[in-house]
Amino acid sequence: MRGGMGGGGGFGGMMGGMRGLHAGGMNSPSMDNLTDEGVVGSAYDNKVVMRLLTYLGPHKKDAILSIIAILIYTVGNVSVPLFLLLGIEWAINSGQIIRLHTIALIFLGVTIVYCSAMYVQYILMPKLGQAILYTLRTQMFGHLQELSPSFFHRTPVGRIMSRSQSDVLQLTETFELMVQSIADILSLAGILLVMLVILPALGLADWKLSLICLSVIPVLFFILGYWQRFARRSFMRIRRAIAMVNGEYNQNITGVRVVESLNRQDVNLDHFKELNQEHLDANLQASRFSGGLQPIVEILIGFAFGVVVVLGGSLVVGSGDPTWGVLVAFPMWIQRFFEPIRHLTMQYTQLQRGMAAGVRIFEVIDLQPEIKDEEDAIEMPTIEGAVKFEDVSFHYVPGVDVLNDINLDIKPGENVALVGSTGAGKSTLVTLIYRFADVTNGAITIDGHDIRDVKRASMVNQMSMVLQEPYLFSGTVEENIRYLHEEASDEEVEEAAKAVGAHDFIMALDGGYNSVLAERGSNLSVGQRQLLSFARAVVGNPRIIVLDEATANIDTHTELLIQAALRRVLVGRTSIVIAHRLSTIRNADKIVVLDHGRIAEIGNHEDLLRRDGVYARLYAINYGLDRGQADVSGNGATDVAAAAPADDG
Amino acid sequence: MRTLIRVIGLAGRHRGRLILAYITSIFALGLSLFIPYLVGQAINLLVGFEPQGAGEPGIIVAHTDVAQSALITLALLLLVASLFRGIFDFGRTYLTDSLSQKVSYDVRNMMYDKLQHLSFAFHDKEHTGNLMSKVTSDVEAIRRFVNMGMVRGVEVPFRVGAIVIYMALLNWQLTLFTLILVPFLLFQSSLVMIKLRAMWLHVQQVMGELVTILQENLVGIHVVKAFAAEDHERRRYNRKAEELRQEYFRNERLQGTNVAWMTLYFSITLGVVLWYGGWEIMRGNLEAGAFATFILLMNQLTFPVRMTPQIVGSFARAVSSGRRIYEVLDSESPVIERPNARVLGRPEGYVRFNDVSFSYDPRIPGLQHVETSAEPGQITAILGAPGSGKTTIVNLLPRFYDVTEGSITLDDDDIREFTLASLRHNVGIVQQDIFLFSATIKDNIAYASPDATLEDVIEAARVAQLHDHISNLPHGYDTWVGERGVTLSGGQRQRLAIARTILLNPPVLILDDSTSSVDVETERLIHQAMTAVMKGRTTFVIAHRLSTVREADIILVLKDGQVAERGNHESLMAHGGIYREIYDLQLRPQEEVLLDAAIVGDDGGDS
Repeated sequence: MRGGMGGGGGFGGMMGGMRGLHAGGMNSPSMDNLTDEGVVGSAYDNKVVMRLLTYLGPHKKDAILSIIAILIYTVGNVSVPLFLLLGIEWAINSGQIIRLHTIALIFLGVTIVYCSAMYVQYILMPKLGQAILYTLRTQMFGHLQELSPSFFHRTPVGRIMSRSQSDVLQLTETFELMVQSIADILSLAGILLVMLVILPALGLADWKLSLICLSVIPVLFFILGYWQRFARRSFMRIRRAIAMVNGEYNQNITGVRVVESLNRQDVNLDHFKELNQEHLDANLQASRFSGGLQPIVEILIGFAFGVVVVLGGSLVVGSGDPTWGVLVAFPMWIQRFFEPIRHLTMQYTQLQRGMAAGVRIFEVIDLQPEIKDEEDAIEMPTIEGAVKFEDVSFHYVPGVDVLNDINLDIKPGENVALVGSTGAGKSTLVTLIYRFADVTNGAITIDGHDIRDVKRASMVNQMSMVLQEPYLFSGTVEENIRYLHEEASDEEVEEAAKAVGAHDFIMALDGGYNSVLAERGSNLSVGQRQLLSFARAVVGNPRIIVLDEATANIDTHTELLIQAALRRVLVGRTSIVIAHRLSTIRNADKIVVLDHGRIAEIGNHEDLLRRDGVYARLYAINYGLDRGQADVSGNGATDVAAAAPADDG
Repeated sequence: MRTLIRVIGLAGRHRGRLILAYITSIFALGLSLFIPYLVGQAINLLVGFEPQGAGEPGIIVAHTDVAQSALITLALLLLVASLFRGIFDFGRTYLTDSLSQKVSYDVRNMMYDKLQHLSFAFHDKEHTGNLMSKVTSDVEAIRRFVNMGMVRGVEVPFRVGAIVIYMALLNWQLTLFTLILVPFLLFQSSLVMIKLRAMWLHVQQVMGELVTILQENLVGIHVVKAFAAEDHERRRYNRKAEELRQEYFRNERLQGTNVAWMTLYFSITLGVVLWYGGWEIMRGNLEAGAFATFILLMNQLTFPVRMTPQIVGSFARAVSSGRRIYEVLDSESPVIERPNARVLGRPEGYVRFNDVSFSYDPRIPGLQHVETSAEPGQITAILGAPGSGKTTIVNLLPRFYDVTEGSITLDDDDIREFTLASLRHNVGIVQQDIFLFSATIKDNIAYASPDATLEDVIEAARVAQLHDHISNLPHGYDTWVGERGVTLSGGQRQRLAIARTILLNPPVLILDDSTSSVDVETERLIHQAMTAVMKGRTTFVIAHRLSTVREADIILVLKDGQVAERGNHESLMAHGGIYREIYDLQLRPQEEVLLDAAIVGDDGGDS
């Protein structure tokens, strides 16, 4: 943190012994195997620390101030007993009242200075820590926005969440801890210096006495360090136990309807009591461990006291050189070195966690986005709507082509329906237009521009996509419709809603357009969410629209609304629809039948039926048992490819 | 106040431990005071002091040998006193910790059991998140209160009192100087404590909002990409992160300032004691030993003074958390077992709704004057628009809610005459949102019948058309499912729920024929499983599939909580009402798809 930049090297030296357990953790971050969350490595990783220090760059002044504050604070803190000692020896024992006043004044001054330093430190510390936290957070988030969808496809949301949340916190905490460590080490060094050098030099205490007193330090270090191993273990046990207890709670609350209907209460309670008992036992064990330290520490302090009394006393009695002041001051120093030692021994685990978190964070930040605008990418001019696939092939894994030799020419304003069974490549095809991934062969052009040559945002802003599962953000209805188009007026929002037939139900909500949606719009029905996502798609008046028709069963009324909305949305725009409903398909200007990643047939409904190929077969399977019947039900909610809820995209 | 007394009462079961904690505290306190006394004695021994002569302190009068052995005795006493103080401190800490842990253990168990016995009406209203925070942070607040409030809260005033009296006995003017600012200090830091808590809650809230943005962004990354909304999202996130930074900083600054003030106070007081105490020594009003004792005592005051705001805080939290916990523990389930309720054996399965009305909460669709009956083994299909009361009807049968008017009878007995457990044992349910517990598949199937053997489970899975899929899993029936396990598709989960019910073998069955769209093969499997499970049971099914509706003996069409039409397929088609309409729009097109199932056998994407 603040003091960390200069002290990093020194600190590294301190921890030298712990280095090198796992040095190479972050060498080659690959997209597919991000380091596992559970991995714990060394307590000091120079690369992580150095990189962390660069985050202090913009806050150099604060950082330097902070180091100065730490130094002043440490010096002050260590010298308090010294003034006490001086007060006794130099002033009180001399019997000169003027000396006492002098010491008291100096003491007052020192106190004010060192408390001010402490105050400054307490302001700067959180300021720097929060600044780093903020930078890491926003950098991470911003970077995640750049990564291509395939990254999110491969990486579970939970893992990314924990990286952006707990890892970032963890790293920042470690940073603050490192500053704390520096202050602790300075304190210890200061006490050693005073007791072993300054006091003997001033003739206030004998260095042998100091040395014997200080002999408890290594013992304390050793005992505390040893104890930490047990403490850590029992701490882990508590964490596991409480996770189990809370997990069981969560499960029982979310599943309470099943529990009650199946009469599982008694069995569950017994099970829960076991988990709860384990949690209790773990805590009691931890309490015994941490509490057991108390007598040991007390007796060490008692020992130091005793040594001062006997040896310090006999020095007094014997030579009359040092006097009773040491009996007051030494115990204060002894108390002052207990805290830093306790801190330092506790930090190993936190440092380990922090370093591992740092490795994971920088791994994500270092990931290269697969899709990036070219340096010389141009702004996409206003789109007319001509979309062309030229010999397009695509694969995720070499050798396993998802799309093969796709040649497709879509004219401005044309409505295209994509038809095919699950895995035929429909979703992949439309996501390629959006540059969610780049084609592995061939090219896709819009109005003659290769989509790789234009700035993606300038292109996508003129297009719209409606996903099969409508996804809404928390916020109001209006915010959701407007979404990206912050410039859209209230009228435009309302118009969009009217265009897709969502206006009526929105007005029926308590707050109209200002109604607040529950998380992901769960207070709306699926159909209503669908309509909102339609409205969101048309608000910017896009020239190209890509739509994955929903397959979920929706109540009849909404279904009809959606059908109507769909027809209106597509008018006058180039549209590519992954179609499941017969009505959509029959109304399309062009039907593209995909089969195993290739285009099997292109044409309109009548053409393709006449051709008697794949489409005719699909049609026959789904509707063809009774031609007349199928025609009648053409407007219904029938699903052509009932077997296609989730495609590969 | 009443809440506080109740919370204190929670520790009543462990009062022996509490009393022991107090006793060990007293011993530890006594020894704490003894140690500064010993140091003072040692100094007095070393320093010849003439109370009358203000002239030359510091002259050694003790005889060397005598002093030497007396010093050694004192040092040994110090060592022993320190040891025992450590031991008593340990006793106090351990007893207090264990007491507070045992109380929170009790409260956790009570909460757990209460929650699983409260009716659906309660759970409809309470969010999972809120309940979770009650069982985590509120229980923790109670634990802290037992520790800080009940033990420390009694001990600290005692300790401070004893130290202050001792100090006053040594020199009351000096004591006055030392303590004059303490009340202000305590007042100020208690205020800070309360303020910090309010700020902390706000920080938590902002943090929650930030996490929501992050999570929505990640889950909806396809939408973000589809709109090229990266910059928009970044701005949204950065704004919130900035807000969080400010809040955090404010919080930490306040905390830090408070600590700095405390330190300043203690340091300055030390200076004053040095100055005034030194003066007193010079004037001969104070012994050097007493002076040293005084300083050591002052040092001991630091800890209790720092702790006081936390103790005050723990009281405040105990009240608010206690209230939240008792909200749950005190709630009465509206569905109550009658005192003389009897155990229901195995009924034959005559079910009758006699003029049933229900209205409870605007969020749960109500029912008005519902009249229907079913013979053993008959299937009743319930149809209607969302919100027409389909789910409400079936939830009344196992008494998840109670009717507000009329009655429901099972074999001619009012269902309210039976014990809840025995009633629910006889009414099986396959719910729409199928919940899997984090356990193996076997345990999930045997969830309601823990005594079932593996053979029973396999047989049930076979009937539910799930056995083949399970056998193909690497760990078969021992495959872990639920939150951290293998995910099952909607269709598989539904069949697992069916298997669960088959194992339970209830004479009355409620089925929610799920609406999610599945492929044809799965559709076929579900249909077979459903047919198997309905056989021989009085069944109420919320129907979405034509096949189910056609097989029903009775079709009940609901509209706005009332029975709009009742009859079988033929009679209702002939009637030409709502049923006919639904059939034309929704059910018939399905029929055609269903017929495909017979033809398209190759598309078994059921994994």
